[in-house]
Amino acid sequence: MKWDFSFIWTAFLDLLPALPTTLYITAVSVSCGFVIGLIVTLSRMYKVPVLSQIGTAYVTFVRGTPMLTHLLIVYIGLSMLLDHLSDKFGWSFNSVSIPMIGFAYIAFSITAGAYLAEVIRSGLLAVNKGQLEAAYSVGMTTFQALRRIVFPQAFAAALPNLSNSLIGMLHGSTLAFTVSVVDINAKAQIVASTNWKFPEAYLAAALLFWGLTVLIERGTALLEKRINVYNRGGVA
Amino acid sequence: MIHLKRITKSFGRNEVLKGIDLTIRKGEVVAIVGPSGSGKTTLLRCINYLEKPSDGEISIDEFSVHFKKPHKKDIHALRQKSAMVFQQYNLFRHKTALENVMEGLVVVQKIPKEEARKRSVELLEKVGLGDKLDSYPSQLSGGQQQRVGIARALALNPEVILFDEPTSALDPELVGEVLGVIRKIAKEGITMIIVTHEMAFAQDVANHVVFMEGGVIVEEGPPNVIFNVPKEERTKQFLARYTSESAYSI
Repeated sequence: MKWDFSFIWTAFLDLLPALPTTLYITAVSVSCGFVIGLIVTLSRMYKVPVLSQIGTAYVTFVRGTPMLTHLLIVYIGLSMLLDHLSDKFGWSFNSVSIPMIGFAYIAFSITAGAYLAEVIRSGLLAVNKGQLEAAYSVGMTTFQALRRIVFPQAFAAALPNLSNSLIGMLHGSTLAFTVSVVDINAKAQIVASTNWKFPEAYLAAALLFWGLTVLIERGTALLEKRINVYNRGGVA
Repeated sequence: MIHLKRITKSFGRNEVLKGIDLTIRKGEVVAIVGPSGSGKTTLLRCINYLEKPSDGEISIDEFSVHFKKPHKKDIHALRQKSAMVFQQYNLFRHKTALENVMEGLVVVQKIPKEEARKRSVELLEKVGLGDKLDSYPSQLSGGQQQRVGIARALALNPEVILFDEPTSALDPELVGEVLGVIRKIAKEGITMIIVTHEMAFAQDVANHVVFMEGGVIVEEGPPNVIFNVPKEERTKQFLARYTSESAYSI
C-alpha cells in the first residue's frame, strides 16, 4: 500500500465545505443543551414538583444511553409521531418537512442537555452557600442573587468541564452521518471512496478536528485566565 | 424599635429557639452572649430570615412579619431593613472591595452608580481600607475582609446591623482592628445586634446584654449589671471564666 501524502492536503480542502455543518450541529446542541441543563439543574436544586422528577429521570436515562441511540430514536420516533399526527389532523407539515440536520439538532441537544445539567450542577455546588446568604442579606431577590453573585462564580468553576463537554459534542456530531447529514467525517468518507484513498482522507478529517479542538482549548484557557482573576491571591 | 415576639425555631425535632421575646430600642447596641449551641446565631439569622423561624413575629417600627406564613414580599422587605456581617465574612468573591460595597446600593436600592461609588469609597475609607478599593477578597487578610463586610452592611443604611460572631474566624492579632471599627460605628447611633464571645468588648460597647442558653434568654440587662452582679446562677457560672480575665483589653 502506498500513501499519497499530497492527497491529504487535497482532501483537507475538500472537507472545508462540510466544516459549517459540523460547527452548526455542535453550536446548536451545546447552546440548547445549556438551556435544558440549566432548567433541569435549577428545578432539581429548588425541588420544583414534577419538573425535578422529570429532570432526574431525563439525566439518568440520557447519560445511560449512547448518543447514537438518541439520534436514531429521535429520527425514527419523532418522524413516526409527526406523520401520525399529521395524518390525523390533516396538517401539511410532516416529517419530510424537517431537514435531516434538524433531527441531529434535536437529538444532540437532548444528549448535551443531560451532560451539561451535571456540569452546571457541579459548578453551582462549587459556590459557597455563604455567597447566596450574603446576597440575600443585602436585600437581593433570589433571581438577582443567582444572576449577579452565584452564576458568575459557578461559570468560572464549571469552565473546564464546559470546555470538555463542548469538545465531546464536537466529536460526537460526527454521528449525524447516520441520518445522512454530511459533516466533516461524512465528507471524508465521500472524498475517500470517490478517490479510493481512505487513510489520507480520514487523516485530513482528524487534523481538522484536532485543529478545532486546539482552538476550543486555547479559547477556554484564555477565558479561564480572564474570569478567574479574583481567585489569584496576593497580587495588587 | 424592634420587637421579637415568641420566636421559635426547630431543626427537625431539635428545638433550638424556645420562644424568644426581645425588644431593641433605636440606636441601641445589643450584645448576645452565651455558650455554643445556645441559639444565639440562629436567633440572629432569623431576624434576617436566613433561617426560617418556625413561629413568632418580628416588628421593626410599623412594619411587621408573622413567621407562621410570611409573605414573600414581607421577607424581602425584612431583609432590606437589616444587614448582616458574617462570621466567615462572605464577601462576594468575584467582586473587588469597592464592588462588594456598591453591589447592594446599585442592584437593590437602585442608587445611581456614581453616587453609590462615592458613598462606598467614603465607607471603605472610614473602615481604613481606602487603599484597597480594587483588591479582591482573596487578596485581603481576614481582618480587612471583615472590615469590607462591615462597610457593605453600613452602606445599605439599614435599620439594624446584625453581627454574627464577627471576630471568631480571625487571628487574635486581627481581632482588634475589627472590634475597633465596630466600636467606632456603635458610637454613631446605629442599632446593632452583636453575637460575640468577646466579653470585654461586649461589656465595653453594648448598652444591653442578653445571656442565652438552651434556646431561651436566661437574663438580660445593662452590661454593668449582667457582668458584675448577674442574678441568675447560670449567668454567674458562664461569666466567671471571663471576669477573671478582665485585664484583657483591646
